[in-house]
Amino acid sequence: MSAALNKRPFDGGRAAYLALNLLLLGFLLAPIAIVIVFALNPTPYISFPPVGISLRWFEKFFAGSDFMNALALSLWVAGCVLVLSIVIGGACALALARGNLPGRAFLTAFFMSPLMLPAILTGLALFQSYLLAGIGRPVWGLIMAHTLVAVPYVLRTTLAVLYNFDRRIEEAAAVLGASPARVFFEVTLPLIRPGVFAGGVFAFIVSFDQFPVSLFLVVPKGETLPVVLFNYMKFDLDGAIAAASMVSILLALGVVLALERLIGLRAYVKL
Amino acid sequence: MSAAKKSRPSPIAWLIAPALLLFVLFFILPFAVMAAMSFFSANPISNPNAYLTTKHYVRFIDDDAGIFHDALWSTLRIGLVTTVVALLIGYPLAHWMARMHSRLGHALALMAIIAPLLTGIVVRTFAWMTILQDKGVINTTLISWGLISKPLPLMYNEFGTVVALVHIYVPFMVLTLIGVIGRIDERLEQAARSLGAGRLRAFVEVTLPLSLPGILAGSLLVFALSISAYVTPSLMGGTDVLTLPMLIAQQVGTSFNPGFAGALGVILLLVCLMIVIAYNKILARLAGEEGLA
Repeated sequence: MSAALNKRPFDGGRAAYLALNLLLLGFLLAPIAIVIVFALNPTPYISFPPVGISLRWFEKFFAGSDFMNALALSLWVAGCVLVLSIVIGGACALALARGNLPGRAFLTAFFMSPLMLPAILTGLALFQSYLLAGIGRPVWGLIMAHTLVAVPYVLRTTLAVLYNFDRRIEEAAAVLGASPARVFFEVTLPLIRPGVFAGGVFAFIVSFDQFPVSLFLVVPKGETLPVVLFNYMKFDLDGAIAAASMVSILLALGVVLALERLIGLRAYVKL
Repeated sequence: MSAAKKSRPSPIAWLIAPALLLFVLFFILPFAVMAAMSFFSANPISNPNAYLTTKHYVRFIDDDAGIFHDALWSTLRIGLVTTVVALLIGYPLAHWMARMHSRLGHALALMAIIAPLLTGIVVRTFAWMTILQDKGVINTTLISWGLISKPLPLMYNEFGTVVALVHIYVPFMVLTLIGVIGRIDERLEQAARSLGAGRLRAFVEVTLPLSLPGILAGSLLVFALSISAYVTPSLMGGTDVLTLPMLIAQQVGTSFNPGFAGALGVILLLVCLMIVIAYNKILARLAGEEGLA
């Protein structure tokens, strides 16, 4: 409660409000900053305050064959998931937005539901199905599992773009004599491309960081990076984990910037 | 609208087929298998002596060892505390961002909220371990300042679990709330203020009630996510915390009892399904209101 002294008085309430929110943002970002500090700190265990800067943990991470195999597998799986979820999710979004399907709201909620149901249960259910089918735990099984949880992201970003653009552009092209196929390839597709790509970027990161779905679906010696890190962390907390984490954070940062450029982050402010 | 009248699906509708196939084979079917397995004594394909039984559910309900009910309660308790704290942190942030006029400020704040969201759960849990452990950032700092002589027990308990879970799920709360608060007409609050209400009263009597559906939706989302968390409670909780997802992983990994794991899965699934349906109802109602306006 501040008295109005002149045109723009110092407003205690506003200042406190701003300070509070900056503090909360700090709470969100501080842990990430701290990981970076530990990744560069040369002491053999996690200790604070840092004593220097070195790249030894990055060397350990990039020299460890366990880490590198896991990283390679994670990148391969995420790459496959990226392609599959773009195709499947993009097609599904088009069908939902343009297909005149009955029960569209229900179908959309249905295709979004892997995001809401516990991921660990998706992993468990697939584990039990693969067990019952007697197919073991193949890598393609893991890829399909990740695709399932990645498709909703592509769906969301593509639908956001589809609902936002002016359908009259398509109608105009049709009126001017373009065939439906030509309208699709020359009008619709270029317009939704950013949404689809943004969804693909999301799909990649969701797969790369995926833990709960992977947990029951990986085999020993064939684990993805998050699973290897998790198992390592149960016994050992050293800078190698911090270095691996930093690699993952840099990737996430790249993704955020890519998303901002592709469709703008505002598209995520609706669920 | 005219689209509602011509209800015949167009050929584009066929594009839904791959997604439908994926979801039937790798989503519906597996969950059906999980539910079915929870009623079998063993794998019915490899073991011819397997029989139908409710023993897995009876085992959970009887709870002879006295751990299953505790696990269920601590899962729900951790979920509830996480949700309340995430709301207390997420609401001011969402309100601030929804009312922000600077585009740059909005974009930067949004990045700060989405960047943690895109960092893996394992990585974020690791970050909290380095902060909260005995030799972590907080304890070392407090000891070096001479404020405490031995480390505070910040980790390997429910406290550490909740702190990390809140950090992981606050972005979901914020993203849900920004949309809802952003839709509330700012002039309503201004009208209340010009009629003599203080800033606080205008907020409590105008903005807060109007954002109630968002609060509910965001809370349900965070609750559903945090009761199904596995990584964070198992790394941050130590031996102090046992949640339903951890119990499920134990049954699969060490006890190799997929039937019982399935039963636990069905129980967790039912809880989450109820929450998800409520969440979708609220969001659908919100969308409907927007359509009328």
